[in-house]
Amino acid sequence: MMVRGTLKWRQAIALLGLLGGPTLFLGVFFLGPLVIMLIYSWLEPGLYGGVVWNFYHLNYGRIFGWANTRYEQFDPAYLRIFARSIWLALCTVGLSLAICYPAAFWISRQPEWRKNLFIFLITLPFFVSLIVRLFAWVLLLRPTGFINQALMGLGIVDQPLEMIFTGFAVVLGMVYIFIPFMFLPVYASVEKLDMAMVEASFDLGAGRWQTFRRVILPMTLPGVIGGSIIVFIPSLGNFIVPSLLGGAKVMMIGNLIEQQFLSARNWPFGAALSMVVMATVLVLLLVYVRQMTREDRAVAAAPEPTGDMR
Amino acid sequence: MEATSAMVASRKTQETEADPDHPVLEIRHAKKRFATPEGQEVVALDDVSITVARNEFLTLLGPSGCGKTTLLRVVSGFEDLDGGEILIDRQDIARQPAYRRPVNTVFQTYALFPHLSVARNVAYSLEVARVDPAEIRRRVGEMLELVGLAGFGDRRINQLSGGQQQRVALARALVARPKILLLDEPLSALDKGLRDKMQQELKALQHELGISFVFVTHDQEEALTMSDRVAVLGHGKLQQIGRPQELYRAPRNVFVARFVGESNLFPATVTQSDPAGIALRLSDGQEVRLPASTGNVLMVGAKVRLMARPEDARPATGKNNAGGLRFQGRIKQVFFVGAHYKILVHTQAHGTLKASLPAGEDLGSTPAPGQAVELHFPPATLHVLLDEEAGR
Repeated sequence: MMVRGTLKWRQAIALLGLLGGPTLFLGVFFLGPLVIMLIYSWLEPGLYGGVVWNFYHLNYGRIFGWANTRYEQFDPAYLRIFARSIWLALCTVGLSLAICYPAAFWISRQPEWRKNLFIFLITLPFFVSLIVRLFAWVLLLRPTGFINQALMGLGIVDQPLEMIFTGFAVVLGMVYIFIPFMFLPVYASVEKLDMAMVEASFDLGAGRWQTFRRVILPMTLPGVIGGSIIVFIPSLGNFIVPSLLGGAKVMMIGNLIEQQFLSARNWPFGAALSMVVMATVLVLLLVYVRQMTREDRAVAAAPEPTGDMR
Repeated sequence: MEATSAMVASRKTQETEADPDHPVLEIRHAKKRFATPEGQEVVALDDVSITVARNEFLTLLGPSGCGKTTLLRVVSGFEDLDGGEILIDRQDIARQPAYRRPVNTVFQTYALFPHLSVARNVAYSLEVARVDPAEIRRRVGEMLELVGLAGFGDRRINQLSGGQQQRVALARALVARPKILLLDEPLSALDKGLRDKMQQELKALQHELGISFVFVTHDQEEALTMSDRVAVLGHGKLQQIGRPQELYRAPRNVFVARFVGESNLFPATVTQSDPAGIALRLSDGQEVRLPASTGNVLMVGAKVRLMARPEDARPATGKNNAGGLRFQGRIKQVFFVGAHYKILVHTQAHGTLKASLPAGEDLGSTPAPGQAVELHFPPATLHVLLDEEAGR
């Protein structure tokens, strides 16, 4: 009993040593700021920045429609920006998935050295600063940019296409920066797909479409969902891409939050907006996790029969 | 049991549509070449022709790389032929995609769908074919009962043991009542005891369902145990096809003799050949006369090989010296295998011979290494082999 007791203690100490560091780190640098934001979002904004320590629900009211005081009014523009952000983020997820899913299949069928080469190439943009890469897109997309000059030089269009400062440019930029995040999880699950499963499906009479729908898609779905979540979350709150490629016309929730914190100096309202973004993401994740565990549990609950083949 | 007989009955009525005497599967002059990554060409199938009768259990036997799995994949539609025909019920299916062919496969790795329950795995082919859900439930239930997995329908695949997965794979492949069931070394992943049990059960199942089975294995014992007929493949060619007894007793060439069962092979020269029989001389000078049994007429001077199975060896005594072969040597190693001793005997002229002596046989005493021994093979147990192997 003594030995067992000390063993347990030793394990506890080892666990504390292993997990203590990260826990402390996350507690101080993640949970702390989060709690500050949460509290600020329920406080009154000071007249010249800062906060007044009064309970104040109108930060949320401005977003959802119950505020009407001297200073702050409900403005549906906030909800519109929010809806646009969700829409642009969904477009980003859809487009990057449309590019990465087929690419993952193609690359997974290549010989080993070529696979590694392609994966290296896909992660290559990480080596260059994000801002530099986005300015390259500005140079490409603007009215006097490379693409418009080429199109006009070839006589395909007579006046420059309006590409920059549109939703299209924002989605393009976000797809461009988030493709590696989509590709890697999708590729991981596509690579794992056993070709024998596909053959078994054909063997059992399923054609190409049925095989895709019944076997390939469900078996690669974890990677697809994983990649989609990893792309959706940073897309929704992104502010660099819309500020460079969307300008003042295509504002996303990230820009709005940035504005509130920096130029408007209204921290409580910025915090309230951040909390709404976070709540949205958390609800989506919760739905996903619930869905997954329910499926698992439904199959796991089965009786315990035994038998022999007759 | 009632459900099963109902199913068998429904199969029977189906079969009356097809000609019962005509082979269900005919493979004619199948040719298949592969290019290796090094740019060389490998001939996987070299003019292979095999027919499978209705309700037959045929085994494709051969060492790895002999083309047996390729042949199976050609029939199931996962590989294209470079030449030849595949007919199922007189219809050439060589150009049909895999999902249109009336054959189903039990894969070596089972290839069960991990995201579906046991019942949905079994139901897969029926769901794809849009069979009525009530009918699917009934047939899946029957099938699971038939393979002894009644009540396992809601389980996940990864909750099953290897043997249970094997049964699910079998049920899944059989539920659509294919004309032919293809089995690609399905028992190789099971341990010995379970494998023996599954061999018997597979055979019984095939008999009960009346579906032709084409079974691929490299295990000659498995092939002999289960099959109605065995096709031995080697180097992409069909070496011999026949009943297990024929293969064992009368192998056509050295390849088959070596691969099916254990054998002693002695190079010999024909010294005399007439309608009554032939005489052969071995390299050590001893002569043996055999009755003319093989259809081939042997020329005097022809080089052949004489095959003697280890279990036909007897300790030589004064009484049994009427013909046959005799070899003197020393026992090198003795293995006690229960019913008999496996003995390796070293001889001057022929190297190591294999003999298997009944454990009760009087050998003076228990055979021991170093002991001098004289072995005798009666003439009736000797078999003449003509050439190395087909096409070599």
